[in-house]
Amino acid sequence: MASQPDLPIPISYVSGRYLLFSIDAVTYLRREHNICGVLIGTLPQIPQQNVFLGLPLELMPEEARLLVDKGVACIVDENKAHDSMNTLLEEDRRRYLHDLQAQGLHASRLHADRKEQQKEQALKNRLNDKNANPKAKAAAAAAVQAQTPENVPSTPSKKDDAVVDLFAAEDPFTPSKDTASASTPSQDAMGITPATSYPPLSIPPSSSHLSAPAVPPSYPLFAHLHSRGYFLSPGLRFGCQYTAYPGDPLRFHSHFLVVSYDWDENIDLMDLIVGGRLGTGVKKGFLIGGAKKTLDDVESEADRVDSVRTFSLEWAGM
Amino acid sequence: MADADEDVVQTPPTGQVEVDLSDETQDFRFLNHLNFISDTASPSIPKRGEKDFEPNPTEHQADVLSASRDAMHNALSFPRLHRPKTQIIAYYALGGYAAQAELDAQQDALQVKENQKPSESTQKKPPTDASKPPPKPVNISPDACVLVPIPKGQYFKTMGQADRKNRVWLLPEEALYLLERGSLDIRWPSTSDPDAVSIPMSLQAAYACFVGHGGLTLERFSVYTGLKRLGYSFLRAPGWSDEIEDTEEIAPASEPSPPKFHGPGLAGILGSLFKWIHDPRKTASTATGPIVGFGIHRHYMDVYRKLAIIPWYDPVTAPPSKLSDTTPPFRVVFHIYKPSTPFKKSAPPAPDFRVAVVSTRDQTTMPALPQLGALLESTPLDPPHGEKMQRMMYMRLRHGYRNVVMAVVDQGVVSYLRIADSAFGKEKLFETKGGPQGNKRGGRGPGGPNRSKKR
Repeated sequence: MASQPDLPIPISYVSGRYLLFSIDAVTYLRREHNICGVLIGTLPQIPQQNVFLGLPLELMPEEARLLVDKGVACIVDENKAHDSMNTLLEEDRRRYLHDLQAQGLHASRLHADRKEQQKEQALKNRLNDKNANPKAKAAAAAAVQAQTPENVPSTPSKKDDAVVDLFAAEDPFTPSKDTASASTPSQDAMGITPATSYPPLSIPPSSSHLSAPAVPPSYPLFAHLHSRGYFLSPGLRFGCQYTAYPGDPLRFHSHFLVVSYDWDENIDLMDLIVGGRLGTGVKKGFLIGGAKKTLDDVESEADRVDSVRTFSLEWAGM
Repeated sequence: MADADEDVVQTPPTGQVEVDLSDETQDFRFLNHLNFISDTASPSIPKRGEKDFEPNPTEHQADVLSASRDAMHNALSFPRLHRPKTQIIAYYALGGYAAQAELDAQQDALQVKENQKPSESTQKKPPTDASKPPPKPVNISPDACVLVPIPKGQYFKTMGQADRKNRVWLLPEEALYLLERGSLDIRWPSTSDPDAVSIPMSLQAAYACFVGHGGLTLERFSVYTGLKRLGYSFLRAPGWSDEIEDTEEIAPASEPSPPKFHGPGLAGILGSLFKWIHDPRKTASTATGPIVGFGIHRHYMDVYRKLAIIPWYDPVTAPPSKLSDTTPPFRVVFHIYKPSTPFKKSAPPAPDFRVAVVSTRDQTTMPALPQLGALLESTPLDPPHGEKMQRMMYMRLRHGYRNVVMAVVDQGVVSYLRIADSAFGKEKLFETKGGPQGNKRGGRGPGGPNRSKKR
């Protein structure tokens, strides 16, 4: 699981937004670089809900910029990159189709195995229920008999993780691996919609990478908090710029509502009260901050990050 | 809603705070309990779990975290599979319907030429019926770019537009939504050469091709797909494209005919006649004397009525503005129907919600009053009705006379604001005995945008 994708990770630039489609990139960035993004896609296994979402992952421009500045990622104009689909060679297409078909075949086999397994389980349960019934004895024997040969191939004992691992694997799937367990009757291959276009497309050359994303004035504060180990996500739900989590949002609640100000900006007292009361009301601190150095003072955004100061407010009168 | 993000600690479950699970990142380990591969599973969404306050260096915490991440990895890398029996294949047609129609015409001409011998050259296309239907006018959006030759399944009840050959054309957002949920297999690249090998379109390719095509922004798609997942039906509203010619006639829900200004106690001729009887000597004049002049005042109502000298805005009589008066992004782009509303593609009913989509990164300020006013006036009159509305004044105020839903999208996170045009002048408090009735809680901050959860 702790796979390391090839660096720099290409971030898809689509219609002004930054997206990630590769699951390996998503988990890697989350694990190693504290970048979470926001999942915006539908999970195909449970499509009718909004609690668990799937790929793609949308990155804030700040996140994309941070990764590009670190040299971990690059920006790829996905629309342009996909133009090369039209010039893809016929045989490449055929080979790709063939790969997909092999994967689809494997998936349908796994599916059949699993169904078989379930059927057995159901049968077993039913037998256990009326174990006292002597009539069921014969059926039980038959079931056991049916079960034993099925246990020989290793695939049915695995869980659905097997599918997942297989498709996440880097190396192309080889159908020969599977021929051993081909005891199940051959079936039609399932169609597959892959998550990414690489392959069949080749990784675009570094000359075609776009420049680092433009970021809002709040970027120094974002980068500062990120450098201190905070996970940051969009702040819309609390009317702030970012919500800051002390650890992975999978496991922790956020601690701060973050709003950035310019160094010499006048701050409306009412804004502080609003933020302080709201933050305390949802058991978070209201955090304001900004960079002392302006863009004129320094060479790059990165140099401003060190000059950031932060303050947190708590509503004491509640 | 405010504290939904935290565990509700002290409050016993008597209050039953409604928690929106989608408001925070959920632990993907819950998904492990769901049985995905089996087709009979109709998984239920797990309840929210415990989270830790802050990281500590214990191994236990690290284990739990890595288990969560693994679960997330597994859930997200689940492939989009199409069973051979239910697989729906579509083709990406860049030129849209117009280009395809031209192609069809050419092919038809060819076919006519070869009419003597039965041609087998059209395997890819669905067989054209022997009894050709008379050409009926097809109304397919020029933005539609995905062609489904054999539409089957439930999805096409609410999505797509059929052409003459009973093929269905999908708009970019419809195609992307279906592909993303694993219900549609789109093939591309499409060329005029029928022998060319077309390959399945990946999710990445679909986003690259469809987002940005025909006015579909990622924000609009986030709104579309978010509500679509919950079962709502969508139609593009006339305000979809930025450069619009004013085509939609504002639905004349009710002919506004009452006079523009409601002066003190104007309630028709009969009313003024009565008033004249009650108060024959017109002693009152707002210009020169006391508003409530001398005379016999039999009822407080008369006095109040006379005191009401400030003209007020009545949404019913306000002239409807044209669609072109609105400024993007404050413009209705979606008409949305609740899952319970019987929806027919060919004859869509009046929408349940009209939604404008705003991105926080492009638009950082509240809309100005003229923008908001134009947006509201571009929606038809929707006065409060129903027995409950009659009774509850605050509900009436909240509902307003026109309303629009603004979807605010911040980098994939969507919030919905309902903006209603309230008419305080229409609520004559002095006419209700014993003060206003209704839900006290609802009266907080009326007039401002009230957040409404659309569930």
